[in-house]
Amino acid sequence: MTKRLKIYTPFISAGIQETATYRVDLIFYLLGDVLACFVSYFIWKAVFISSESEFLHGFTMPQMIVYIFLMFLTSLLIYSDGTYNIGEEIRDGSIAMRMLKPVSYNATFLFQEIGNKLVTNVILIIPLVAGVEVVRTYVTGEIQFNILHFVLYLISCVMAYLINFFFNICFGFIAFIIKYLWGANMMKNCVVGFLSGAIIPLAFLPDTLEKVFLFLPFSSLNYTPVMIYMGMYNSSQTAFYLGLQLFWVLFFWGLSKLLWSGASKRLSVQGG
Amino acid sequence: MKQIKRAFRMHRIFVAQELKRMMEYKGDFIIGIIGFLFVQASNLLFLTLIFSNIPSLMGWDYTQVVFIYGFSLIPKGIDHLFFDNLWSIGHFTVRKGDFDKYLTRPINTLFHVMVEKLQIDALGEFLMGVALVCVTLPKLQVEWSVLRVVLILAVIPFATLIYTGIKIATAAIAFWTKKSGDITYMFYMVNDFAKYPVGIYNRAIQTIITYIIPFAFTAFYPAYFFLTGENPLFNIGMTVVISVVLMSIGILIWNRGIKAYESAGA
Repeated sequence: MTKRLKIYTPFISAGIQETATYRVDLIFYLLGDVLACFVSYFIWKAVFISSESEFLHGFTMPQMIVYIFLMFLTSLLIYSDGTYNIGEEIRDGSIAMRMLKPVSYNATFLFQEIGNKLVTNVILIIPLVAGVEVVRTYVTGEIQFNILHFVLYLISCVMAYLINFFFNICFGFIAFIIKYLWGANMMKNCVVGFLSGAIIPLAFLPDTLEKVFLFLPFSSLNYTPVMIYMGMYNSSQTAFYLGLQLFWVLFFWGLSKLLWSGASKRLSVQGG
Repeated sequence: MKQIKRAFRMHRIFVAQELKRMMEYKGDFIIGIIGFLFVQASNLLFLTLIFSNIPSLMGWDYTQVVFIYGFSLIPKGIDHLFFDNLWSIGHFTVRKGDFDKYLTRPINTLFHVMVEKLQIDALGEFLMGVALVCVTLPKLQVEWSVLRVVLILAVIPFATLIYTGIKIATAAIAFWTKKSGDITYMFYMVNDFAKYPVGIYNRAIQTIITYIIPFAFTAFYPAYFFLTGENPLFNIGMTVVISVVLMSIGILIWNRGIKAYESAGA
């Protein structure tokens, strides 16, 4: 097992170097996304000011604000861009180089991305969690940090990342059919953004839709970790949704293996 | 005059070339347009869900907010359609050393970069904007006047150039740093604020989007004038002034950057 993992360490260190090279760009990019976060902050603030009741679908204004910032943090932690990388490799033919190596194709991506994430997540998680907690203490008036929720949140995030990674790999295989992944990827991000509660909490949807969406794999991405962190789930709900996450991890892992064995047989590279 | 004619002729040639390239990948560009429609549809769904809980957003009703949102997509879409190539300068053209090709041609570099590509995907954004404006117009309580219609139409190119100016200025930073795509992204994201009534933000944000990164003039202020007829000198006049100023700054930085540019890559 250690030996098998050892062959992937070069991919991890390549990922680390890749991200470390562009850390300044990363900061600007993040600032751009933080701005988008503030847009939602002000919209929701205006919504609660304009509303007559204190609760909207079970959320108070402070909770909603915490929700927005946690969504941002979670999306960042579990971000995966396998789709795009696979698409690019199919387009420029470098996929052939990766296939020549005696390692698992999907795993090389996973470990390279883990390398990327080691840099970004380790640098970012402490200031961002601290930031979220400061905002939370400020808007609610008392310290809400709960270590158990936080640990469960991290576990949930790891599973969410794996779901995201394998789902993106599966989606990336679309590049075998559609050569233009940018457009398809935009569509995917948009649908996933909605179904995962990143745009609006699923609780704001009509009841039946909410129930259906909670069972779909997308709510396992952002929504489950955020709800756990916020303490919106009781212990049996937490156990249930963590179990559901585990199910989706295994599901997409299996599916990506299946698709890869099918797709690699009919690979046609343009140029290269 | 002769130069302008030449520029237009060249623009036509570039566009024709782009269209040929696109017809090669028909399926792709349909997917791109649908992709942008999806993004806009989800934002619209967000607004609809929000308004199902409240009668108005700090005094703005659903139709008005959708109108402002729709209007914001028009200049954004036009800039996106014609001048999207500026993104690639900051992201990779300079870094990979591909910028040299522009310097070897007998036309202005900035002009060449701007007209080289056509981002047809942006039609999704633009058409959605036009559709939202058209759908909301009859429902708005607006006093119609020729002046309002003329001014709002006339201001669209200027609002577009606010986007373009900011993109030129930030892309040109790459001439010094080799890569500036993420700086462009950071500035560009500020435009998200402009899609909603400025009144919902706090003082600091209002000041930033009005005077520092003045995206509010790409959408909210012109739309506000159209809705209320108030203060055309500020809402429309300032849009024109700011767009001219930003374009000038952009061109200035670009020209200085060209002088500082040293080729990168192999």
